[in-house]
Amino acid sequence: MVSIPAIDRPQPASLATPQPKVQIEDLRFYYRNFEALKGINLTLYDKRVTSFIGPSGCGKSTLLRCLNRIYELYPDQRATGKVLVDGADILDPRQDLNLLRARIGMVFQKPTPFPMSIYDNIAFGIRLYEKLGPSQLDERVEEALRRAALWDEVKDKLRESGLSLSGGQQQRLCIARAVAVKPEILLLDEPASALDPISTQRIEELISELKSDYCIIIVTHNMQQAARSSDYTAFMYLGQMIEYDHTEAIFTHPKERQTEDYITGRFG
Amino acid sequence: MKGVGLYAQRRATNFVILSLSMAATAAGLVVLFLILGALLWHGIPALSGDLFTRMTPPPGSKGGLLNAIYGSAVMTAAATLLGTPVGILTGTFLAEFGRGSRLAQAVRFVNDILLSAPSIIIGLFVYEMMVVPMGHFSAWAGTIALAIIVVPVVVRTSENMLTLVPASLREAAVALGTPQWKMVVMVVYRAAIQGMLTGVMLAIARIAGETAPLLFTALNNQFWSGDMNGAMANLPVVIFQFALSPYADWQLLAWGGALLITLAILTLNIFARLVASWSSFAK
Repeated sequence: MVSIPAIDRPQPASLATPQPKVQIEDLRFYYRNFEALKGINLTLYDKRVTSFIGPSGCGKSTLLRCLNRIYELYPDQRATGKVLVDGADILDPRQDLNLLRARIGMVFQKPTPFPMSIYDNIAFGIRLYEKLGPSQLDERVEEALRRAALWDEVKDKLRESGLSLSGGQQQRLCIARAVAVKPEILLLDEPASALDPISTQRIEELISELKSDYCIIIVTHNMQQAARSSDYTAFMYLGQMIEYDHTEAIFTHPKERQTEDYITGRFG
Repeated sequence: MKGVGLYAQRRATNFVILSLSMAATAAGLVVLFLILGALLWHGIPALSGDLFTRMTPPPGSKGGLLNAIYGSAVMTAAATLLGTPVGILTGTFLAEFGRGSRLAQAVRFVNDILLSAPSIIIGLFVYEMMVVPMGHFSAWAGTIALAIIVVPVVVRTSENMLTLVPASLREAAVALGTPQWKMVVMVVYRAAIQGMLTGVMLAIARIAGETAPLLFTALNNQFWSGDMNGAMANLPVVIFQFALSPYADWQLLAWGGALLITLAILTLNIFARLVASWSSFAK
């Protein structure tokens, strides 16, 4: 339930043994006095996609928000325990939050384009930590938009507002913005739940393309999505990690009764 | 037929409420148009080349409002330049950096008091603080008094507009590793720029017609004066003085001045909206 043995069958993303990227140890999270995470232990692997599933309020988004400490925006939220990224504890108060977040990208449920041009939406993050000439910057923006499968749709209107795009395009813009800064980990908080089926499909294709380079963690309400696009799946319930295994194992022969009840639709 | 009586009753209630609200709207609009109509009716005859090129005259001779127009423009502009940065920074503190803190609550409370303080009190305050120690009226004192009126208006609107920016936008910026000040300046301000500009416009509109604070500070000057350390003519005080006078030519100039202020505020508002719609990507 804590960590899993190495994958014993060939994976399309990488044939190598998965390398641990994030190790979570006894993570507890509090909204004021409410304990939303009750001692989570978990290992997340590099170049793999991991899904967090579970009913609303089970703590899956909260867990995701611990990984880049975005909860620190709100004074009455706090976490205890350890979150080791490449062996270093990011919950350490000495950890520089801006540098941490530059290494760990995040995409939210609702598309959040900045009120600026499509080009500047992507360039914004790059400019924060790199000094590039105009042509290099152009290249990076194009590369990011291509990776997010958005380039062909926006290449002729890079100076237009990011808000002029459709919902699905806006979400791909946000993914492009996140990958443009070349993070190591990509956190996706229900990235397709506000989108139509075609946009959802594009986002899922995108995730499977991106996983060869990143450690991707996706929170989803959609079990088909978890089954389709992830290598590992973690089932959470009431702030606890109930079961964590290869996605195939979770969906074909779950070990825990609660997991089985949830994935077969008996509650949740 | 079930419920017919209830439905008829609801329709009647709807009719009554709708009529009342339309009557209230009409009442407001009628008063507004009466004021504008009277201004145009009496003010247009005063519009002439003299109005913009000659100084305020003694009764019975020809003249214009040039010195007063200049004084109003200079003091309004200087007060806006002084008050806006203070107001926007304070609003930013309340909405972004100090949100929920005790200091922010205290500042917000004091600001609300300042917002509703009668402008004559502010005039008296600046009179005591600046005019008395300096020994004479001055345009600087007028500017400070007007700036004190600008600050709370801008603080309030800036805070409100910044608070309307969704938390998800802040989270998205912070998630990229953006330092807080950069997130505020480059993302949140852009999302709120239109509302914040409107706040500044409201403040300008408010001070452009303020008379009481200027009576105690810049007073008036019959002659041309560009000296910020001396008394300076301005439209509100000239209108006040000329409108109450028994001389028909002075009264005509007062109407002209009133029309000018109104048109200036109208132009400013239209211009601000245009600028905001050009510069903002938030549609």
